[in-house]
Amino acid sequence: MQLETVFLYLSAALAVGIPALATAWAQSRIGPAAAAALAEKPELTVTVVLLIAIPETLAILGFVIAVLILMQGGG
Amino acid sequence: MSRIRMLGPRERLQSCLGCVQDVGLVQLIEPVETESLTPLGLSVEQEHHMRSVRKVVEDVDGALELLGATPDPPKTAEALPLAKAALIAGRSRRRLEALEEKRLRLEEERALILKFRPFFSAFRKIGDSGLDLDGIRVFYLVLREGGEQELRRMRAALRQALGDGFELLSQPSESGESAMLLAVPTADAAKADQLLSEAGVQSLSLPDEFEEEGVSSTIRRMQARLDELPQALAALDRERARIARERGRQLAWIQASVRDHLATVEAMDKAVVTPRAFVLEGWVPKAVQAELERKLGLCCGPGFEIETVSSEDWSGDTVPVVLKNPRLFRPFETITRMMPLPKYGTVDPTPFVAVFFPMFFGIVLGDIGYGTILAAVSLILRLRSRADTTLRSISEIGLACSLFAIIFGFLYGELFGDLGHKIGLHPLIFNREEAFFPFLGLAIALGLVHIVVGLLVGAVKMFRGDKRRAIGKGMAAVMVVLIALALMAAFDMLPTRFFTPLVIATLVALPVLIIGEGILAPIEFVSTLGNVLSYARIMAVGTASVMMAVVANRMVGAFGSVLVGILFALVFHLINFILGVFSPTIHVLRLHYVEFFGKFYSPGGAQYRPFRHWSARESASDERSE
Repeated sequence: MQLETVFLYLSAALAVGIPALATAWAQSRIGPAAAAALAEKPELTVTVVLLIAIPETLAILGFVIAVLILMQGGG
Repeated sequence: MSRIRMLGPRERLQSCLGCVQDVGLVQLIEPVETESLTPLGLSVEQEHHMRSVRKVVEDVDGALELLGATPDPPKTAEALPLAKAALIAGRSRRRLEALEEKRLRLEEERALILKFRPFFSAFRKIGDSGLDLDGIRVFYLVLREGGEQELRRMRAALRQALGDGFELLSQPSESGESAMLLAVPTADAAKADQLLSEAGVQSLSLPDEFEEEGVSSTIRRMQARLDELPQALAALDRERARIARERGRQLAWIQASVRDHLATVEAMDKAVVTPRAFVLEGWVPKAVQAELERKLGLCCGPGFEIETVSSEDWSGDTVPVVLKNPRLFRPFETITRMMPLPKYGTVDPTPFVAVFFPMFFGIVLGDIGYGTILAAVSLILRLRSRADTTLRSISEIGLACSLFAIIFGFLYGELFGDLGHKIGLHPLIFNREEAFFPFLGLAIALGLVHIVVGLLVGAVKMFRGDKRRAIGKGMAAVMVVLIALALMAAFDMLPTRFFTPLVIATLVALPVLIIGEGILAPIEFVSTLGNVLSYARIMAVGTASVMMAVVANRMVGAFGSVLVGILFALVFHLINFILGVFSPTIHVLRLHYVEFFGKFYSPGGAQYRPFRHWSARESASDERSE
């Protein structure tokens, strides 16, 4: 395998991996706070679901970029 | 909404309130007090009566809660005097509370005895040994699996402290832990206790009733008690079921009639009076005002008048909100209601949600097979749910979503992933397994349309009030379109010669945007462009879904046995189906609440709650919507 191809796959992996870790970190902070809020105010369910879904944008955009890298690089 | 004022002879206040409650269309509010109009207030006897009524409500609510489910009250029943209702409710509640207390005590006893279970099997054959002698203290210990080293250490420590004056029996139990009995002279019990706590070994405390007994007798009696407890608990359940059978419907009837009565008395507090007349004020939907006036006129008789309060005398902030949509869109009100209601006079987003939500969902799931399963599940839910319940709405939303999933399944040529291609289905627009760019383009284009619609709705709504800001918002919509067209020209999707004019038009529009929406408008505009990009999630979640389905299909040939492969594939498809329903729901909801609603939605409306007869179902639904 050529070095160029290795870097292509590596960069695609990093493009999706790093935002996924960031999402995981953000959700790990939001999750306990959300659970605590829900215990006191169950009517906040929708807000909590939205707050948990918001960091997922990072992973999703990372995934899109990874796909772009692979497609543009002919992977 | 119309604000109405109802006037009538003071002595007929109670009967007129009964009529208002029967009609069930007016939300009563506190009327404006003046020098001639004073609040009715309650007499000392009425206050006392109210306290009695509230006590009955408390008892009957408590009793029904302990019964578990509230049965439907009988359609007609003889009215009970308050004293008799109070007696039935009070007795039922006390009886049910006693049963509940007993149940909790038995559950606790069972949990405590279960802690001693390892000893049952381990020391079953111990018989009446010397351990039962007087002057001996027995400790019941449980050592985790593989704790031999701890056991040796403990034995050594005990030998050092107590010499030969102890007996330690250890037997592995069925669960793998070791059950241990430590017997020491009562005089050395404190020392042994300290050693155990230093070694980190927890000693189980015997329930009080077994405290004075020997080991074998204790174990025997515990085993017997453990066998008795399920029967005792079942007897309690039977007793509760008997009360539910005999008293359930009567209690539900008492609940409905007493709460109704309480509501009428509380409504009297909203009346203002002169020496001869009463005045009540409230909100009523304009569409039913004529019907209300006719019905109340007939029910309250001569001398009763209704007048409409001029809209100049009230502000929109105090008006309750009722969502009113065509039958086809009504289930989607559930999605709107998950957010705080829109303010009175602002836009109800339900029709937009009804169009875009199932469409986006269908684009993401886009599979004939999954869509058909979802349709079947939704249909079953619809058949099993009652009209006007949240479950019914969810089932109808599910049906709409499944319809779009099947339509897009045909367009993508997907049936359980790539199985469709293998049986001759061909993609009509693109193949999602390969066509990432067209799918991404479709997602972004949909985002563009959705956001522009949101901005335009916001501009139209604002045009009635702040025209300058409305123009600014409209200009933002125009600029989003201009930038999208310029990008298309830059990437040869439109003739390149359009690029420069489009960029110039965008630059010309920018000052208009700043004049309309203020100096921070460009920053907000950049975030709007970010909102459009957020729709890329439609492509990302959709691609993930189809890839999972493809992987599931490949499992058939991946294992040695075809049967095992098919089994794995089915399980994987099931997981993908669950994810394929859950994930698009969350993401499409987010696109609506964050990206779309953010462009025009004004939350803060109060729920319309007409004064009507009480029903358990409506009360529960009101509590949920709060």
